Amino acid sequence: MSNEVWVVADLKLDGSIRKVTFEALSEARRKLVGKIGGNLCGVLLGSGVSNLAPELGKYGAEKVYVVDNELLKDSNPDGYTKALADLIKKYEPYIVIAGNTNLAEDYLPRVAGRVQAGLTMDSIDLDLTDDNRLKIQRYSHSSKVISTQEFLDHKPMMTTVRPNSFKPEEDQKDPEIVNESVDFNSEDIWTNVVEIKAKKSDLPPLTEADRVVSGGRGLGSEENFKYIYELAEAFDAAPGATRAAVDAGYCPYDMQVGQTGKAVSPNLYVAVAISGAIQHFSGMGSSKVIVAINKDPDAPIFKKCDYGICGDLFELLPPLTDEVKKLLQD
Amino acid sequence: MKWVLNPYDEFAVEEALRTKEQFGGEVVLVTMGPARCREALRTGLAMGADSSVHIEDDNFAFSDNYVVGKIIANEIKNLGEYDLIFTGFKIIDDESVQVGIHIAEELGIPHVALVSKVVRIDPDQKRVTCQKEIDGGHVIVDVPMPALITCPDAMNEPRYASLPGIMKAKKKPLKEVLVDDINLEALGLSRESLGKDGARVKTTSIKVPQIERKLKVITGKDNPAVKGDEIIESTHELIKLLREEAKVV
Repeated sequence: MSNEVWVVADLKLDGSIRKVTFEALSEARRKLVGKIGGNLCGVLLGSGVSNLAPELGKYGAEKVYVVDNELLKDSNPDGYTKALADLIKKYEPYIVIAGNTNLAEDYLPRVAGRVQAGLTMDSIDLDLTDDNRLKIQRYSHSSKVISTQEFLDHKPMMTTVRPNSFKPEEDQKDPEIVNESVDFNSEDIWTNVVEIKAKKSDLPPLTEADRVVSGGRGLGSEENFKYIYELAEAFDAAPGATRAAVDAGYCPYDMQVGQTGKAVSPNLYVAVAISGAIQHFSGMGSSKVIVAINKDPDAPIFKKCDYGICGDLFELLPPLTDEVKKLLQD
Repeated sequence: MKWVLNPYDEFAVEEALRTKEQFGGEVVLVTMGPARCREALRTGLAMGADSSVHIEDDNFAFSDNYVVGKIIANEIKNLGEYDLIFTGFKIIDDESVQVGIHIAEELGIPHVALVSKVVRIDPDQKRVTCQKEIDGGHVIVDVPMPALITCPDAMNEPRYASLPGIMKAKKKPLKEVLVDDINLEALGLSRESLGKDGARVKTTSIKVPQIERKLKVITGKDNPAVKGDEIIESTHELIKLLREEAKVV
């Protein structure tokens, strides 16, 4: 058993490393590695990823395990499962961390099953018990409560972390590179990726965005959602929506924030024509600053926001968008 | 064809029923949990599922995902051949996304997570093609059957149970499985590995998150809503607060 703490890099569709990876490396260094007396290591899985290792070194990785294989292209979950499970069996790390992305939710439970590890998802706090077992906090029960969960002394201990929960902090290292080849058999890869449809957008992904602008059913139509997209663009924010707006067909499901959609934790959350139902709050209630725009003075959201304007969104959003544009261009 | 599923939510049940309507076969509900799960099984049977299995024993309470996945997978094996397993993407209370995928791993079959649409099922080639949601877009994949599919919220519109459906459900088979019915040793488990004390991860405390909000809401003078010149004044004021007080722009 080693004393290594691993952070598995999460890659975007364009092959670059997601910010959450640097957040996880930074928090693991601050809270876990020193106390365990171990090493901080990065793990790179993918096709053509070897050149990314120095980026993990920039955030404190002293060693980077690399599995660079054609079969790992398109983030194939079967390939990821096999590669990470084999690495874990061979090197027996103490703790394994990844960002809480759709991909991690897809393949990490399978890895945990294969190596019989405990796994928690979407942690917002990382810590150790007195006897150096991993201890995390996460939202549960529609985000109405925060649970503290402790691992048994059974390694590795695995968790994913919610994007935007930890501060990324550089700590330049020149990491040792460990190239690993994994023997894939034909039966290891079931999933045949037929087609990838990347969303054409210059805006940041919803879960990682520093700012989010969301609209509710009060927008009234798919066409009117342009008001949301325009304000989002002005703020350099990701656009989001309530379940009601998605169900009404105003925007796609991948924009849904809430209990049955995505959980976000941005610095600024602007809620437009959103009443503030508990199901929506369970996906954005941990945002640092919440702004509400609603014409109903009795909307519950006005009781749980930082700033609000009571008024008609169609009158308010165009001048607000202009003002934000001007401000951020200067 | 026979369809087995694990009804953490009704989207999975609905998808299984639609598959049966198209290709024939049988829909079997499998769940693990306390007595109140019986109600969920009755609902699924009333929607149109054919039979159900309820794994119910206090010894299992608060078991970890690994153990739950193993036990459910074992019951599915006992049911005989199957082609597709549908599970909810997430369990609402614990917000765990793990159990379905653990079942697939235990059964040694592929899984497709977060499927927004089953595009095609080919019973001859035994393959299923799905559209699944990924970070930054979506992807079309196909996998051999049997396979497990996890169902998110927007996948379909679940039907309501009809009155005749509810009446019929009362006569449909509901098999109960207790801990003594399971050969734990053969699964690599022991009594100690079950329940809260054997769990790889356990909840030690819970707290209600407290975030103080500033509650500064700008309203109109004569009406609650801002009107006329107040509109521009209010957006100025909001931007000023975001810049100078909250410092987020």
